[in-house]
Amino acid sequence: MFRHDSPAEAEFRQEVRTWLDASLPLSLRGRATRPPPEELMPWYRTLSKKGWVAPHWPKECGGMGATLNEQIMMSEELARVGAPQLAAQGLNHIGPILIEFGNEKQKAQHLPPIIEGSVIWAQGYSEPGAGSDLASLQTRATLNGDHFVVRGQKIWTTWGHHSDWMFALVRTDPQAQPHHAGISFLLLDLHSPGITVRPITTIAGDDEFSEVFFDDVVVPAKNLVGRLNDGWRIANALLGHERLSTSNPQYAMMALDRIKTMARVSGVMADAAFRDRLAAACINVTALSALFSHAVELTNQKRSPGPESSIIKIFGSELLQSLNELLIEASGGHATALEPVATAFGEVDVSTSYFQSRRVTIYGGSSEIQRNVVARRVLNLPNN
Amino acid sequence: MDLHLSSEQTLLRDSAAKFIGAAGPKVARGFRQKDPSFSQARLKEAGELGWLGMLVPTSADGLGLGLTELALVLEQAGRGLVCEPIGFAAISAAALAQGHAPHPMLEKATSGDALIVPALQENAHGTDLLVPRTQASGANGSLRVTGTKSFVCADGADGFLVSASGSDGPALYYVARDAAGCSFSATQTVDGRKLATLTLDNTPADFVPPRQSSRNAVEALTDLVLIALSAELLGVMAKAQEITFDYLRFRRQFGKPIGSFQALQHKAVDIYTRTEVIRSLLYQVAANNDPYRIDPALAVAVKAKASEDALFVTQACIQLHGAIGFTDEHDIGLYLKRAMLLSSLFGNAAAQRRRYVEIADLIE
Repeated sequence: MFRHDSPAEAEFRQEVRTWLDASLPLSLRGRATRPPPEELMPWYRTLSKKGWVAPHWPKECGGMGATLNEQIMMSEELARVGAPQLAAQGLNHIGPILIEFGNEKQKAQHLPPIIEGSVIWAQGYSEPGAGSDLASLQTRATLNGDHFVVRGQKIWTTWGHHSDWMFALVRTDPQAQPHHAGISFLLLDLHSPGITVRPITTIAGDDEFSEVFFDDVVVPAKNLVGRLNDGWRIANALLGHERLSTSNPQYAMMALDRIKTMARVSGVMADAAFRDRLAAACINVTALSALFSHAVELTNQKRSPGPESSIIKIFGSELLQSLNELLIEASGGHATALEPVATAFGEVDVSTSYFQSRRVTIYGGSSEIQRNVVARRVLNLPNN
Repeated sequence: MDLHLSSEQTLLRDSAAKFIGAAGPKVARGFRQKDPSFSQARLKEAGELGWLGMLVPTSADGLGLGLTELALVLEQAGRGLVCEPIGFAAISAAALAQGHAPHPMLEKATSGDALIVPALQENAHGTDLLVPRTQASGANGSLRVTGTKSFVCADGADGFLVSASGSDGPALYYVARDAAGCSFSATQTVDGRKLATLTLDNTPADFVPPRQSSRNAVEALTDLVLIALSAELLGVMAKAQEITFDYLRFRRQFGKPIGSFQALQHKAVDIYTRTEVIRSLLYQVAANNDPYRIDPALAVAVKAKASEDALFVTQACIQLHGAIGFTDEHDIGLYLKRAMLLSSLFGNAAAQRRRYVEIADLIE
C-alpha cells in the first residue's frame, strides 16, 4: 500500500511468486496450524536447495544476503501463497545470534545444518516460574571442569519435542544482582542423557509447545556462547528486528479476506452496524501498513527501528486479535465448527485462526510487558 | 518514530515551530468570542512565509510543494492551537490557481490579504460533500448558485469556495462574501471560534476549474481538507500528550510521582501508540499521494482514525490530570475542544467510515 518496488525489486518479486506458485505443494497452503515436521521439513529443504531459506543471513553463512526490502518481499510472497511458517528458531534466532556472537567452531558446527534443514532448534528461555519475569529464571548450569551440569526445567518450548538442539538461558551465578547478570547462553544437544520432553496441547488443538526437563545433563563447556554470565545481553541483542519481521501487515490483510468471505457467506455483510466495524478494521489494517512501512524506512536508514518499535508489536498483535474476534462475529454459527468451513470462495479455518490469535499478545513479551517497556524506555516515566 | 525528512522539509518544520512559539493556549484563550477570532496580521505573516501558497504551482508564483510539507506546517499549527485558518487558506489558494488563467483572487489569497475558505459541507455528517444539493445555473460570466452550506469557517473570510451541482455534475465555484444574495449566521464553537451557515440565493459565482490530474475539483478539495484537518489533529494530540506526560512525572501522590503507577503508565502508552500510529499513517499517505489526486480511501482512512483517536487521546489526557484537568483554568481542556472541532468538520469518524464502506465496496 505504501511501499513500492523498484523495477529490479518488482522483477525479483515476480521471480519469487512464479517459483512459489510452481513449487509449494497444495497440501501445505493456507493451513491455520503449522504442519508437523514430516510434512514441513521437505518444504524447508526445497527452499534450502533453491538458496532461499535464509534471506536475511549473509552469503558466506549460506544465506541470501538479501536487503531488508527483499526479505520483506519474500515474506509477503510466502504469506500470499499461503505458505506455512517454517521452524523459525534456527533461522531467525540462534542462527543470527551465532553469526553475531558465536565462535568459529560453533558457527562451523551449527550453521550449515540449519541451512540444510537437517537439525531442528528449540528456544529454552521461559520457565514455569519465569515467564514475563524472565530474568528470575532458575535452570542451573554448574561449571565442572570442561563441562556444565544442567538441572531445571524449560516450558513453552516451541517444537521442543521435534527438536534436536536447544539454545537456552541458564543461571550460572545464583548470587548475581541484578538477576540478569548471572545468566549465560548455552547450546544443548536434546538427545543427551537426562532430558525429558513432554508436549503441551494448546487451546488451538495443536502441540506446538512442550516442556523440557533437565536432570543433571552434561553439556560441554565449549557450548557456551559468548562469555560466562553475558547471556542476557546476547539474547536481547536482536529483538528489534524480530518485532519488525513479525509485524508484517500481510497477515492482517489475509485475516480481512477471511472476514469478508465469512461475512458474505453468513449474510451479515448486509448489516450496516457490521459494515461499520469492518470499515474500522480495514482502516486499522491500513494504519498498520503505514506503521510497518515507516519502521522499514527507518531501519533501512539507521539499521535499527529503535525502542519505539515496541508499539508495532502492541498495535499489530492487538489488531490481529481484534480481526479474529470480528471473524467470529462475521461467521455466526460457523464459528463453532472445529474443522475448516467450506465456502464458495474456498475453505476458511475460522475457529483455529481465532484460537491461534489469542497467543500473539502473549508470546515475545506480552502486551502488558511491552507497555512497561515503552513507558520506561520511550516515555521516560519514573520507576515504581 | 522519527520522520525521514529532507533538509528543506526540516527547515520548514522548524520555521513552523518558531511561528507557533508566538501562539499557544494563552493566545488561543485571548481570541475566544473575538471578532474575528484570529489575528489577520498573523495570517499575513503566514502568507509572507510562503505557507498560504505552499501548494500553488511555481508557475503561478507558489512554492509548488506537496502534502508532506502541508502536513508538517499544519501539525505545528495544531500543536500551537493556532487560530488563523492556515490550512483552509492554503488549500483554497491551491484551488484558485488551477485552469488556464488563475482566479483574480489568487494573489491576495496567497499573501494573506484576503481569506478564502471552502464551503462544501451541507449536513451535519458531511455525507453530501461529493453530491451537493446547492445548485449552479447559468452560463460562464453569469453563473448563479443557490443553496445552503453549513459549518463553514467563515469567520473573517472574504470569499468562499462553494461546491454546487450543475448540468455537468458537482463543480467548484468562487463566491465573494459581499456578493448579492450571500448571507450567513454564525454560531459560537466550543473552542471559542465561529462556524457559519451560509445561505446563497441566486448568488453570482465564478467557475473554479479542476486541476487536470484531478478526477473532480470538489473531490480533490474535499480529500485535501481531510488530510489538512488530520494533520492539525495530530498536532493537537502530540502536544496534549506532551503536557500530560510532563504532569505524570511531576505530580506526586502516595509519596511517588503518579507516572510510576502501572495503571497510568499503560494508559500513557495507549495515548502514545495512538498518536504515533496517526503520525505514520498521515505521513505515509502524504509521501505517496499527489495533493490533487489523493486516493479517497486513504484520505477517508486518515480522517476517520485521526478524528477518533484525537478524541480518545485528549479525553484520556483530562482523565490523567484528574480534577485539575476539568477546570477551565488548566490548558489541557483546550486541546479536547480543538479536537472536537476538527474531528467533526467534514464528517466525524463514523461518517468517514460510512464513506469508506462505499469506496472500498464493502457490500454483499
